[in-house]
Amino acid sequence: MTAFGDHIKLAATDLMKILEAALSRGGDFAEIYAEHRQFSFVNMEEDIIKETAETISLGLGVRVVCEDITGYGYTNDLSLDKIRRAALTAAAIASGKGTQGVPRFARVRIKGDPYPVKEPFHETNLSQKIALVKKAYLACQKSSQKIKKVKAGLQDHVREVLIVNSAGFIARDIRPQVRLICAAIAEKGKRREIGFCGGGGRVGLEYFRDVLTPERIGKEAAEDALTLLEAVEAPAGEMPVVLAPGHSGVLVHEAVGHLLEADFNRKKTSIFWNKLGKKVGSEIVSIADDPTIPCFRGSYAVDDEGTVPRRTLLITKGRVVSFLQDRLSAKLMGRPLTGHGRRQDYTCIPIPRMSNTYIERGEDDPSDIIRSVSKGIYAEKFEGGQVEDSGKFTFSISSGRLIEAGRVTAPIKQATLIGTNVDILQKIVMVGSDLSFGLQTGTCSKEGQEVPVTDGCPTIKISRMTVGGKR
Amino acid sequence: MTKKAREKELEKLAERFVTFARKSGADEVEITISDDREFSLDVRLGKIESLVEAGSRALALKVIKGKKTAFAASSDFSQETLKRLIKNAIARAELANEDVCAGLPLAFSENTNGAALDLFDPEIREIEPDKKIALALETERIALEDKRITNSHGASLVTNEILTVLANSRGFVGSYEQTFCSLSLGLQAGKTDNKAEDYWFSTERFFEKLEPPESVARKAVERTVRLLNPRKIKTQAVPVIFEPQMTAWLLGFLSACVSGMAVYQKATFLAGRLGTRIGNKKMTVIDNGLIPGRLGTRPFDTEGVACRKTTVLDKGILRHYLCNTYAGRKLKLPSTGNADGAGVGPNNFYLVPGSLSPQEIIASTERGLILTRTIGHGLNPATGDISRGAFGLWVEKGEVAYPVAEVTVSGNLENILRNIEAVGNDPDFRTAVCGPTIKVAELVVAGE
Repeated sequence: MTAFGDHIKLAATDLMKILEAALSRGGDFAEIYAEHRQFSFVNMEEDIIKETAETISLGLGVRVVCEDITGYGYTNDLSLDKIRRAALTAAAIASGKGTQGVPRFARVRIKGDPYPVKEPFHETNLSQKIALVKKAYLACQKSSQKIKKVKAGLQDHVREVLIVNSAGFIARDIRPQVRLICAAIAEKGKRREIGFCGGGGRVGLEYFRDVLTPERIGKEAAEDALTLLEAVEAPAGEMPVVLAPGHSGVLVHEAVGHLLEADFNRKKTSIFWNKLGKKVGSEIVSIADDPTIPCFRGSYAVDDEGTVPRRTLLITKGRVVSFLQDRLSAKLMGRPLTGHGRRQDYTCIPIPRMSNTYIERGEDDPSDIIRSVSKGIYAEKFEGGQVEDSGKFTFSISSGRLIEAGRVTAPIKQATLIGTNVDILQKIVMVGSDLSFGLQTGTCSKEGQEVPVTDGCPTIKISRMTVGGKR
Repeated sequence: MTKKAREKELEKLAERFVTFARKSGADEVEITISDDREFSLDVRLGKIESLVEAGSRALALKVIKGKKTAFAASSDFSQETLKRLIKNAIARAELANEDVCAGLPLAFSENTNGAALDLFDPEIREIEPDKKIALALETERIALEDKRITNSHGASLVTNEILTVLANSRGFVGSYEQTFCSLSLGLQAGKTDNKAEDYWFSTERFFEKLEPPESVARKAVERTVRLLNPRKIKTQAVPVIFEPQMTAWLLGFLSACVSGMAVYQKATFLAGRLGTRIGNKKMTVIDNGLIPGRLGTRPFDTEGVACRKTTVLDKGILRHYLCNTYAGRKLKLPSTGNADGAGVGPNNFYLVPGSLSPQEIIASTERGLILTRTIGHGLNPATGDISRGAFGLWVEKGEVAYPVAEVTVSGNLENILRNIEAVGNDPDFRTAVCGPTIKVAELVVAGE
């Protein structure tokens, strides 16, 4: 097997020529993004290893930026002729005199190692991967006789990227990613429910020994489904909502994170565009995004524009202090880069994205938070959510419980929470001291581009929120 | 290279790799090649924001050895990479388990080139970028003339040309070219802290058929301003009218619930329900992959099986699941020509329209909600439960009274299908899964 780091073979002189072609009609900035991705997949269902897959993706995109206009061309034929054609396509948005001279490339210095992998998955043989999947599958299946169907799968990939730009930077990054997931279907009488669990991140084989075993993933998927079998209809209407630590981070991601992405604010479509420095939420709320957390799914050593990322505080004590920036928005807004320019793959233009987003820990004891609610909802797991630029958002509870007289009681069926972000930020009345992160399986979609992310939060109490149940 | 020459070249390439895989030890092999050209343009506030133009290819393969399956795919077309992937796949197949249902279909489509299906607009390639830019700019300009519109998400114009080639070891070779184009516009109305937003789009296979800029702009404006100054409503159970786009969303969920893959996996509440009533008599739902010119039309599915017309719901009775070869074998049913990659997907999947106009349906409603858009997730195929954030218009005495926001709608797909009170005469074919306006007797709308 070819060693990783060897898949993109482009000489510095060729890169220089491509950038010159990209700037041949003027333009302020040109960039080459080349990518090689090797993906592998194992799927088990109906007690057999049903299929395996291997996918190679190789391609390159050339971007030209002229003021606020972006031209982009891409190809998966890495011959110089085809790359040059992509560069000229991207150049077509400019219509001036060619820019001369691209400076000599300086290598981007990477700090720390967000992928401290000991046993990389791309060097792990298929039998070992199959063994992991089987362990999760069997642990799930034997949890209960009520478990009628199990599916388990392992997806891993390694992505090698090369980013070169006309500012003279060259960056390489080799990013591992793995995800082991298990889904269970439980039946009792006519009721049928689906449970889910998973784990992974930018980790190696050792993670599934030392951090989260496949057996635990399988068992939790089963427990999830079994709990739902006993679930009652969720209530409908306005009531206090307590967010369980970890998974509830999706609320932060949807309700707040997206609208702090710089593009929506530069375009003034986000409700936050005129609120930088202003207080929008309760004193006890601080929100950050940190792409540098080792092993996390949303982490990276450089973003997809070659910028070294940093932990970025978005909201401090209820005040908006920063947006998540990519190069284009940072330039147009006159703000510093934060390293949040990400793209799904070489076919896409980078845009500002979240990485690992979370509400910082607070001071309340989680049990006090629950005790303070006489009638409400304890939201534990979510299927996901969506936000509009106007700040209206929803997110779907896939498992949760009722809170009655200060105690967590019966599990509830699927329900939707809906609200407006600034309103919710103001209604956060308690923040627990128990910050944790959700499953390392999340993917965020924006403008059709999917990127891996992680969300987190401590136990949080929202004084009132609309719950969409059936009662 | 001419269209025909490109098709021939890629068919030959696919056949060569079928032969190579057979010689390398595969019992059966299927090779798919796609060759796409994309043009994508975003304009905003009167200027180009981004322009993307590109071509890309991908090859995907399935090998079966001893009833064991392995998949592979690559966008790197070097002989060395492709041959290595094929050999790896054959080796990997050995590590999978035997599956009696694995294997290629036995019968294939006679239409191997998409003839007579009106899938391809040869003009699209010839359209000058300047014409596309002018169309997109014009669309947004017309909308921005309306002073109630305070910001724009921009207008987009996208065209795609896709060549699909399929060859397998049972001797099937087929290829077809298709085109898609769309013109869309997203808008905001109102001030920063009280904004409403919505959009409109037109999608067609033929460029000339796209809605003109005036029409896209007018509808986007109308849909956005009608949501201004929404009210909250009390939690209640009321009749809910689904606009055609919302019916399409509901049918999308139904299509997932009648997927043969979900059925044999027991991941859908409709498993074991074939031949039983799941909706009332107003509900006839059809999947038809052969309607000329429609967005979900194709001569054969991703396994080479002929697309056809399948009655899924006949006056409320569940008649057919959508199957690929694998799900079909699992369920002892024939493939319905709905293979989509490794899974099952709808072709043109639609609710047969009724006779009432949407105005008549609204007029028949004393109090209720017109559902105009939903956001979020909240669809559970195992139970049929639905719970989504919603935007809509409140109806009082048969007329639209005011917009509603920050509500959720909850219900169950089977209950909804059994309680459809009216089906409109206004099918909307801008999506492959589609339907007309419908009215559901009662759903819980949660508000204050």
